[in-house]
Amino acid sequence: MKHLTVIALLACVAGLQAAPAKTPKKGKLVPAEAVKAAEARQSEFYERVEIPTPAGEVCEVGSIALLPGKKVAIGTRRGDVWVVEGAYDADLSKVKWTKFASNIHEPLGMFWKEGSLFAMQRPEFTRMTDRDGDGRADRFETICSKWGVSGDYHEYAFGSDPDKDGNVWAVFCLTGSFHSHAPWRGWGAKITPDGKFIPVASGIRSPGGIGANGEGDVFYTDNQGVWNGSSSLKWLRPGSFQGNPTGNKSYALADFPAPPEPQSGSRILTERLKHPAFVPPAAFLPHGKVGNSPSGVGCDLARGKFGPWQGQMLVGEQTASQVQRVALEKVNGLYQGAVFHFLGGFEAGLVPVRMDQEDGTLFIGGTNRGWGSRGSKPFTFERVRFKGRTPFEMRAIAAKLDGFEIEFTHPVDAAAAADVENYALDTFTYIYQSSYGSPEVDQTEPTVKSAVVSADGLRVRLVVDGLVRGHVHHLVVTDVKSKSGETLWHTEAWYTLNELPTSVTSLKLPPVPVDLSL
Amino acid sequence: MRPSSLLALLTSAALLSAAEDGAQVYNTLCAACHGPDGKGLNGLPPLVGSEWPKGPAERSIKIVLNGMTGPVEVAGMTYNIDMPPQGAVLSDEKIAAALTYVRDKFAGGAGAVTPAQVAAVRAQTTKRATPWTAAELLNAHPFPPAKTALKNLVGMMYQGEWKTLPDFSALKPALMEDFNAGVIDPAQSGLKDHFAMVWTAQFEAKEDGKYNFVFDCDDFGALYVGGERIAEIKGIGPVGGRRKEVPVILKKGLTPIRLEYVEFAGHEVVVLGYKGPKDKEIKWLSKTKANAPKPRVSIPIEAKDGVAAIYRNFIDKTTPRAIGIGFPNGLNLAYSADNLAAELIWTGKFMDGGHHWTDRGAGNEPPAGTNVIKLSDGPGVALASGEGSVVRFDRKGEGKEWTFSAVKVAAEFKGYDLDAAGNPTFRAAGEGVSLTDAWIPEAIAGKPGLRRTLKSEGDRPVTVVLARDLTSEGADGATVLGGSLSLRALSGPQPKAADKLLTVTLKPGETVVLGYSFR
Repeated sequence: MKHLTVIALLACVAGLQAAPAKTPKKGKLVPAEAVKAAEARQSEFYERVEIPTPAGEVCEVGSIALLPGKKVAIGTRRGDVWVVEGAYDADLSKVKWTKFASNIHEPLGMFWKEGSLFAMQRPEFTRMTDRDGDGRADRFETICSKWGVSGDYHEYAFGSDPDKDGNVWAVFCLTGSFHSHAPWRGWGAKITPDGKFIPVASGIRSPGGIGANGEGDVFYTDNQGVWNGSSSLKWLRPGSFQGNPTGNKSYALADFPAPPEPQSGSRILTERLKHPAFVPPAAFLPHGKVGNSPSGVGCDLARGKFGPWQGQMLVGEQTASQVQRVALEKVNGLYQGAVFHFLGGFEAGLVPVRMDQEDGTLFIGGTNRGWGSRGSKPFTFERVRFKGRTPFEMRAIAAKLDGFEIEFTHPVDAAAAADVENYALDTFTYIYQSSYGSPEVDQTEPTVKSAVVSADGLRVRLVVDGLVRGHVHHLVVTDVKSKSGETLWHTEAWYTLNELPTSVTSLKLPPVPVDLSL
Repeated sequence: MRPSSLLALLTSAALLSAAEDGAQVYNTLCAACHGPDGKGLNGLPPLVGSEWPKGPAERSIKIVLNGMTGPVEVAGMTYNIDMPPQGAVLSDEKIAAALTYVRDKFAGGAGAVTPAQVAAVRAQTTKRATPWTAAELLNAHPFPPAKTALKNLVGMMYQGEWKTLPDFSALKPALMEDFNAGVIDPAQSGLKDHFAMVWTAQFEAKEDGKYNFVFDCDDFGALYVGGERIAEIKGIGPVGGRRKEVPVILKKGLTPIRLEYVEFAGHEVVVLGYKGPKDKEIKWLSKTKANAPKPRVSIPIEAKDGVAAIYRNFIDKTTPRAIGIGFPNGLNLAYSADNLAAELIWTGKFMDGGHHWTDRGAGNEPPAGTNVIKLSDGPGVALASGEGSVVRFDRKGEGKEWTFSAVKVAAEFKGYDLDAAGNPTFRAAGEGVSLTDAWIPEAIAGKPGLRRTLKSEGDRPVTVVLARDLTSEGADGATVLGGSLSLRALSGPQPKAADKLLTVTLKPGETVVLGYSFR
């Protein structure tokens, strides 16, 4: 048989089969090992250092604020607020701590504004001011305390920085993470500078942090559990329902229209098309693969000082002691995008993530009291800085009508990057249900039909057969190197494809409701 | 290839893939807490060295399906941490694979778990909506009794009333039985009161060296090792205070041991254990372990250098938004920011952070001191003219039948100032209402006390509740609340008592100064 005949025969067979001609290289990476290998390379690109906390003090860091004059404040779970000088310095042995306040109630969100520290405490949002200049707060102004607190330890309240109008956004965990025994448990709200409480979103389960992107849209992390098949990063769109109906009882408090009563055992896509207010997670952080309990939400707006991630979200991870990177885009009015593993090896379970956007220094704080973590210290306060050498990474992934476009941080080696065999895709979703978590279900294996490298080598356009709306698309990139021969720091991405970028928008999001202030 | 070998090959391939799957499930979901090596991450329970994954598979299956909550002892450590349920996440096959992996790798080959076993437990527990507690699981699936160093343990029971040890050689046992597990337990008598037991056995020393015996009982008894009486507990009394610890040098091998025990009445307890030359922990020979209960972590919070301490976490017998103040003169206050009321006053120690500041800190913490007087409950500030302008939602009703209902109150909490000595001035405001409530430690009528200054700066009269549902009597120009707390009006309008309610009404601009002290 001549070679040509063989090729023709093979082509014919391939044409007959629905399955790809080449076996995708899936299952090649055991996540834990891949993560470990990547963490080993971290010091090539980033410097992570521990900042000594006050001697003899238990500083389970729950919030971090940046103050003028390169001072940084931390709020601890025990309720102490400390201010440190020298946290930016090369020699961290000389940091100087002063106590600003004692035993406030578990501040999980703190910022500096107009000469005061503002803290989202469990029962109230408070302005703390040092009026006599002795370094200690002497005035505590309760700006808002309109949400219910039943006395349950799990009723955490996380607060954001002020938005452009000075409003602070907060998310209120369910009672015990399963119930709503007090007003507004399982809700997000906006607090105006004069203390008005404006409920903005329902359907929240158990947040780990809250923060805005460069456009000022607010996101929070919600943890796997009832109605949450997996943990995810969610967009707190005003007027939205986030998927967990446990807090629906509070709809009656403000004469809102009847809340969505979604069906358990369904899929998010199915239910959100029935209930237009239901905003799906912007990015699933697949449980067990990306992390187990996401926490703080930051955004890199440091214009390259922290690496080429301008505009991307940085998400803390409690159990795995990591920071993940999420690159979002807006398609048909909804946020969606990809999560990548990013930084790891932190000393405790992470809670707050705070980027100094001027300086490009990332501060993180952590604790593993009550929830264990890979990092083995009971608490930690750390600093991460970009060393200036850009890792070869997938910077972002954009959804296209017929596939994806991967953006790399360095020009790729065109030959390898154009080989479809170097991209393996699989998709899945979760059962949307009232029981705890969900398996990955409805798996499919799309085919990468072609990979076209852009002229500048920074983008690879994948034409994919079999994209699935509503599914997480898991991409593994193998053997793609940069032009200068560098291997990828991280090879996996999980893209949540809420919407396909069609030219015709079928989706009708409800209008943002008029502010109902209480 | 013969069919049988083909079958064998298929079976082994199936087993291999199950094992891989189990490892994958474990590493993806379980290792995040139990560690890739099964040794547990920081603060999280290990599987290695634990009894839990061993024994009947049903126990482990239940834990994976429905999760676990509350305190649990694992490998000698107590954990109070929740395991989330995985029943909705994992199929029967995946649970079976993961548990097979765990039992093979970390539980010393406790045996494979099949999907059918998981399915059976799942079917039995479909109605189970909450996580299991350790007690429930151990009740249904107890740990096997461990074989101890007591060989050929024989127990003899005698009936009678003794207040000192009798001469057992003159008595005839009413019952005699072998206890092969080698565990001493007074319940083996089958009696509650007025009996004695004598246990005899061979104690197996694994090597030469010093053995520290621990012995205690309720009521009394004696311990003999190698024919010699090494410890005696005399008289009727409980365990704890009379506990004996005696070192004995033993040779490797068997040594006769004898324990004589008398129960008069009440509780019946025998504690026997030892620590061999290489043991780090006491090994128990009795059912009751005299593990000194883990001392509660204590983190005293107190006034320092003359500056009052503050505590903002959930304080018992007041509302969730209470603020505790511990003054340097030994008086303490809990002010409810929900009710705008001083709700608790007590003396001595202020608060202990050991509970809220370790583990997850669930629940309320009571005041650490004494003479806790509950001053009031419910709204502490009211308008003379009727309902106020501030809407609050209260939970009404119990169980599943409850609703939020709106209540209009006079004012809401606005915060507080702290002076240089940490003394608070609480602020409250509503439409037409502006009230400050300042507290300073000061001697009142010659006793350590608190001076309270209430000042109204609104435009209408407000009534402040000073005490509700407390007995009050007049004595020496003071009102005595709850039999021990004296309240004096030092200046300003006089408090009024009516229907177990003690209030003071302030006109706009008016100030009242009150003095609190214990008699």
